[in-house]
Amino acid sequence: MEGCTWRRMSHPTLFPEQKVFHRSCFAMNTRFSMVLVGIETERAEALAVAAECDLRACERMMSRFDAESPVSDLNRRATETAIQPPEGLWEILSLCRDYWKRSRGAFDITLWPLNHLWREHLGRGEEPTGKAIEQARLQTGFERLHLDEIAHTVRFQSKGMSIDLGGFGKGFAIERLDGSLRAQGVEQAFLSFGESSITVLGSHPHGPAWPVGITNMFQPSDTVHTFHLRNASLSSSGTAPFNRMGGPQVFGQNIDPRNGRPLEGYRTISVVSPSGIEAEVLSTALLVTPERDRAALISGFSTISAIEIVYRTNAGKFVPCIEWEYGL
Amino acid sequence: MDSDSAFVSSSGGSDRAHRREFLKRLAVLAGSSALLAELPWWSPLRAAPVGDSPADRVRIGLVGVGTRGNLLIAQLLRTPGVEIAALCDDYEPHLQAGLMRVKRAKGFADYRQMLDMPGLDAVVIATPLYLHSRMCLDAFSAGKHVYCEKSLAYTIEECQAVADAYRGSKQVFLIGHQRLFSPLILRALELVRNGEIGQITQIRAYWHRHGNWRNPVPDPSLERRLNWRLYRAYSCGLMTELASHHIQVANWFLGAHPVACAGYGSINYWKDGRELYDNVNVVYRYADGTHVVYDSLTSNRLYGEEIQIMGPKGTIEAISGRLYAESPPPAPGIVQLINGLEHGFFNTVPIGGPSWVPDLKKDTKGSLLVNEKLTEDGTAIALAAFANAIRLREPIPGMMEQACRTGVSVLMGQASMEQQQEIAWPEGFRV
Repeated sequence: MEGCTWRRMSHPTLFPEQKVFHRSCFAMNTRFSMVLVGIETERAEALAVAAECDLRACERMMSRFDAESPVSDLNRRATETAIQPPEGLWEILSLCRDYWKRSRGAFDITLWPLNHLWREHLGRGEEPTGKAIEQARLQTGFERLHLDEIAHTVRFQSKGMSIDLGGFGKGFAIERLDGSLRAQGVEQAFLSFGESSITVLGSHPHGPAWPVGITNMFQPSDTVHTFHLRNASLSSSGTAPFNRMGGPQVFGQNIDPRNGRPLEGYRTISVVSPSGIEAEVLSTALLVTPERDRAALISGFSTISAIEIVYRTNAGKFVPCIEWEYGL
Repeated sequence: MDSDSAFVSSSGGSDRAHRREFLKRLAVLAGSSALLAELPWWSPLRAAPVGDSPADRVRIGLVGVGTRGNLLIAQLLRTPGVEIAALCDDYEPHLQAGLMRVKRAKGFADYRQMLDMPGLDAVVIATPLYLHSRMCLDAFSAGKHVYCEKSLAYTIEECQAVADAYRGSKQVFLIGHQRLFSPLILRALELVRNGEIGQITQIRAYWHRHGNWRNPVPDPSLERRLNWRLYRAYSCGLMTELASHHIQVANWFLGAHPVACAGYGSINYWKDGRELYDNVNVVYRYADGTHVVYDSLTSNRLYGEEIQIMGPKGTIEAISGRLYAESPPPAPGIVQLINGLEHGFFNTVPIGGPSWVPDLKKDTKGSLLVNEKLTEDGTAIALAAFANAIRLREPIPGMMEQACRTGVSVLMGQASMEQQQEIAWPEGFRV
């Protein structure tokens, strides 16, 4: 097992002033990694400790798995009564509502009941009935999540509703971290959340940008497309390729809010944006949006570039193909 | 983490045949692991399987048929090639109950008469602490092999006396620190030696129970005899009866004895006439600056028992059998990125894809040291090693050193609490 405390790496001959630091930690239900370049050990360590504290604070605020988090409190009680969450969470929910509207419902943090229904049934090797899906759909939809602008309270308008800030939370945390590092004078850094949400500061020390490859999900050693990132964020969303037994599965974990069913087939959408949050929101929203509607969706957001990789079988193998691209 | 450890093998078996099969497998393992070079007490397990001939039979007399003695009887009855030839206890009800279980055994009230019994190869001592050294010395004098329950002795002088008497002996001696033979603890040691947690920087151990630690007493006159663990004339209480298990592991993993210790103890809950502390808290200092922090209490069981072995790369919880990495391993793409930065490469970082989730639960909640539930705490293997060593007529190397290190350490802890001062390792103590 490879340990991973701070590592100081230097090559006095090649790069006399170059220092590289790395730290990985578990946060927000995945692995966070941070690589800093050209910063003294002591300062880099302080930055990493502060970063980890920031992530923990985000996690405490947004985790649905922590029974004491404000999100869990909402999920428990917001059907019975209007709850006033901490101001930070209120702002996050307002932001999510804004993105829900801008994405025309494609980005929605209320899909958990459907997600849970499908997981439960697929775990038993069966599909839920149409009636069960319709019932779960009545527990989802941001239009049923009432945010009171004056009282700053939250109320679920349907019993059984539940908020899941999973993907959005990563985008939010990484953007916050980006701002915090810049404010402290960091000019070159590579931040990764679960390898699906990446933010870079500045450029690679040996080139004009950070070249980041989107890997073939059936052949991780192969790169399908390379983005050259500079002061940008990259987020990838995709249908889950493997089931618990290790074999390919038909259904992914992303629910299409328009029909309440998980996405089928094997696809990923990768989005580059100046904003970590928008990259996250768009990669999720584009995945469930038909190609013909994507340009309209994107027009409401900051300048981005994006690709869709579709995997099709050919001679018994999954072969990746870039089916759609934008802004490249 | 590689879970394919040489030590991982379930004990299985509910009778002697199963035990024989288990020991046969252990013999193969004992000859195959590189780590076993530093576990000399495992060497008897490499012996050929025990046959059924009378020459292979080891005849044992057990003294002290109390709680621990009865557990040892149960194990000995399953150990191939072992015959419990005699039982001894000066408390008649215990002796009679033991003889009911082992009908062919001869009963004694006085252990010295048992030592005189013809044909007895070895004694197993499971008596109160204050009797250990006397019985060990008498057994050595009688030419018997000795399995002595922990802790070694009641005073440091007695520890020294036992070590002196044994020095150069051809007899087999084994101390009842069964964790020396515990597959789980050996797996933990294997991981430590493989560098999984880095240098050991601290060991924290605790044993918390909720109970008065009393045995029922049919007559008040028997209180001290039957509840000897509560009275200073017979025992050092929590230190010798519980802490010794954990301090032994700490000394073993650190490969040293403590140079000093300081601690506090008190009776703050069970104010029932007992003389020995119902809670103890001791910090041991080692020559290299490592500390072992130990505490035990009898008024709260929430945290139970644990040995936490900590280093800069991770923590091993040796009782619950988990390894917690200090940081998760980075993704291969991150490793590649760091490598590129370090060497001046400007290569694509193959990293972007759907979110990484595999093994997260395992990684954040610690990974299991072994992938199966182990019921073997080491006692059965220890007794098999003892019997094999007797059969081989080879003393078990390193055993007296283990016994003394721990025996003295726990007595230092008791002395520190009683004297309320730091206690140093006894100068000139010699194994």
